[in-house]
Amino acid sequence: MRVSLFVTCLADQLWPSAAVGAVGVLRRLGCAVEFDERQTCCGQPAFNTGYRPAARTLARRQIEIIESSAADAIVSPSGSCTAMVHHYDQLFDDSAWRARARGVADRTHELSSFLVNQLGVEDVGASFSGRLTWHDACHGLRDLGIKDEPRRLLRRVTGAELVELPNAEACCGFGGTFSVKYPEISVAILDEKVDAIERAGVDAVVSGDASCLMQIAGRLSRRGSMVRAMHLAEVLASK
Amino acid sequence: MTFERDARTALADGQLRGALRQATTLFGERRRAALSTVPDWEGARDRARAIKDETLEHLDRYLEQFAANAERAGARVHWARDAAEACDLIGAIAERRGARTVVKSKSMATEEIHLNAALARRHIEPVETDLGEYIVQLAGETPSHIVVPAIHKTKAQIAALFADKLGIVPSDDVATLTAAARAALRGSFAEADLGISGVNFAVAETGTILILENEGNARLTTSLPRTHVALMGIEKVIPRFADLDVFLQLLPRSGTGQVLTAYQSLLTGTKRRPEDEGPEELHIVVLDNGRSRMLAAAVTRQSLACIRCGACLNACPVYRQIGGHAYGSVYPGPIGAVLSPQLFGLARSAALPYASSLCGACRDVCPVKIDIPALLLHLRAEVVDSRVGKGRLRERLAFSIYAALMARPRLFEWVMRFARRLRIMPRLGAWTKWRDLRPLAPQSFREQWRTGLRDAGDADA
Amino acid sequence: MRSGDARREILHAIRGNLAQGLESAPPDRLSAPASSPPVPLSVPERGDVVKHFTEQLTAVGAQWTVVRTEAEAAAALARILTDAGARRVVGSDAPLVQRLLQSVKNGLVIDRLERLSRDALFACDAGVTTAQWGIADTGTLVLESAREQSRLLSLVPPIHVALLSTRCICDSLREALGRVSVASHAITFITGPSRTSDIELTLVVGVHGPQTVHVLLMEEA
Repeated sequence: MRVSLFVTCLADQLWPSAAVGAVGVLRRLGCAVEFDERQTCCGQPAFNTGYRPAARTLARRQIEIIESSAADAIVSPSGSCTAMVHHYDQLFDDSAWRARARGVADRTHELSSFLVNQLGVEDVGASFSGRLTWHDACHGLRDLGIKDEPRRLLRRVTGAELVELPNAEACCGFGGTFSVKYPEISVAILDEKVDAIERAGVDAVVSGDASCLMQIAGRLSRRGSMVRAMHLAEVLASK
Repeated sequence: MTFERDARTALADGQLRGALRQATTLFGERRRAALSTVPDWEGARDRARAIKDETLEHLDRYLEQFAANAERAGARVHWARDAAEACDLIGAIAERRGARTVVKSKSMATEEIHLNAALARRHIEPVETDLGEYIVQLAGETPSHIVVPAIHKTKAQIAALFADKLGIVPSDDVATLTAAARAALRGSFAEADLGISGVNFAVAETGTILILENEGNARLTTSLPRTHVALMGIEKVIPRFADLDVFLQLLPRSGTGQVLTAYQSLLTGTKRRPEDEGPEELHIVVLDNGRSRMLAAAVTRQSLACIRCGACLNACPVYRQIGGHAYGSVYPGPIGAVLSPQLFGLARSAALPYASSLCGACRDVCPVKIDIPALLLHLRAEVVDSRVGKGRLRERLAFSIYAALMARPRLFEWVMRFARRLRIMPRLGAWTKWRDLRPLAPQSFREQWRTGLRDAGDADA
Repeated sequence: MRSGDARREILHAIRGNLAQGLESAPPDRLSAPASSPPVPLSVPERGDVVKHFTEQLTAVGAQWTVVRTEAEAAAALARILTDAGARRVVGSDAPLVQRLLQSVKNGLVIDRLERLSRDALFACDAGVTTAQWGIADTGTLVLESAREQSRLLSLVPPIHVALLSTRCICDSLREALGRVSVASHAITFITGPSRTSDIELTLVVGVHGPQTVHVLLMEEA
């Protein structure tokens, strides 16, 4: 199986271990991984803040890059960026671009969804010693319906004990520019999540989106917590 | 900006935050328990949304049918293009009917048009009879939640308020406080000659208006006085009497987790014989006030599907922290963030579409499947296009730079590598005041890819 | 006339905005769901319906007594009123109510609604009416104004006693909506006593409407 990695600008620059981990897991499962260096950003920040022309420009670019790939699937370590690609058709009035957008959406998968639903794999041969808890990133959960898949994968990690957060589905408060436009509200929301994480007595909180991880990690460390924030791919790549 | 300031005030109010946390958690749990008693909850949501879509797409026809049937049954139907016209109409009715004691049951539309202030200018003081609204009225405040307007007040505050305004001995027993309000309001009900209510649903097929409640004050407001005035937005109409079933399945469960509220009043015109119980005159005021504009696009038209259940407020992580007052509008929370700019203008409410993390919890719980995040994104694009609100210049510049960089991968990489070498991170005080920033990893993913990761593909990871 | 202008303008604005919106409808708007019929609830035996109804009555905080004859109903009514310490009682114009109140007169002041001033109505302890329908699924009573003057008596006094024939219990809200007639200018659905949680989310039963609802279920062959 040939997989083209849709790395996401955030993971590429700010949380590369997520992308490196994704490559590792995919290769371990027998996929040949390609990376098109022309990719940059899917346009989500522009779209979410109301700058649609800029978002459209970047979307067209991303669509062309994906179309030029002969890989069997495009896989991303980010639910929100995958969701953005899945929403590309809403950016265009032009029916040709809408069709092209739908075409690339069909080929683009979030990592956990790809592993469980496309490769049919739950045990990726990972081992990680410790208590883990999962944070459901909002776009992955609500736009892509990803709820079960990461939990199945984590439960098969040797040595890991998966603990469920009572507010696993609650937003972490990031919301892109929201986190800096309304930082006090963002952090008030975040603190409820971090309170629950600390009460859960875990070694690490795991999520499928680097944006959530930055938000959660930033507050955990500011609060002097020993809990690590890890991307799903990092856990799955561990041996 | 007022929103930021009011949000900060709310965040600093520990008692308010505790009350909000308790209320939203409780209503959320009750809602979840209640929807499991409907055999096909998702099917009910779809059916309700389909009915709303059908209605809105032919709204003129259904409104005409409603008005004709209501009038045939003896009601007088009035039309108000805006808030001022609605206030004038209602004020004129009150004066013509010689109203001295006016009672009101809960109606957000009457708050939207600032009816009480308009009536006060005619020396008519309506008494709010819903307990939460009564408390808020006595305190000279505004409601902070659609379903529990006084959620922001403790019983101690209410006791002090009642001691001051009603002359009771302060008590911390909620039943005692409620009984005090009941006793005071019974006096108003006994004398009331005009009752003002809202409308939950207006049935086109029969000209019926439906009002639901738990306390009984709406029934008293609409059955005792000789004149009843009911205010409804144009979007309240539904096509058929039988359609009430699906909405009554969805609304109480979504709002408070009840299967049914204690009372539903289905009122069709006026009494048939003078000796029957009930008002002599029923006046229905149909209000536009900016709603018709929302019909112009599918994404905004769904705003009018809202049945005012309050579920989105209870699900919203932002509302949970800041409550209703910070939104600065009669309509708070997620639905308020999309209704207020559309009803009252983007300039007045430019902050609201951005006061959301776009988590989508609201869309999950909306009984009529309004896609609030899509609406928020639509309004954000409008805010940017219309250049309202402050601080846009810097943001516009930032996004121009961002777009330019992202269209040029080599330039993007060069800038990031530069930042990495010199350990430059934008000093985002708004981030770093409360959160640490991870230092940039020594190599980005693409650098690692090029310097070995790509070729490691043949070896096992 | 100004209101005529307003009506014309509003309808015109609606039509104009719709015309704009519907011609540019994007192809992927929320598609209308297949009109699937609601999941049919199994039709229970009559006995099940009464049981279901009384369980729901209890769940919503209403009280109930099953009676088989008018004599039993009268006895039950007398007991209810005495236990509650009710002295001033008003009955609706339903012949059954009038008959029952005649036979429980002792110690009570029975009034007729049409003779009462509003203040006097507010001073009453109990209102007795019939109900035209019951809804088993929700423990609801349905009152129709064309059939009886029960609107105020089921609302103002703190105790409401309602007589309902077991033959008139519908399964569902949907069925009840199909049975009522808008020849009644006021149809009232009553589910338990009045209530509020507006103060600190603490439930208080009995606010502006009755605090006690007691259903006398008349078993009829």
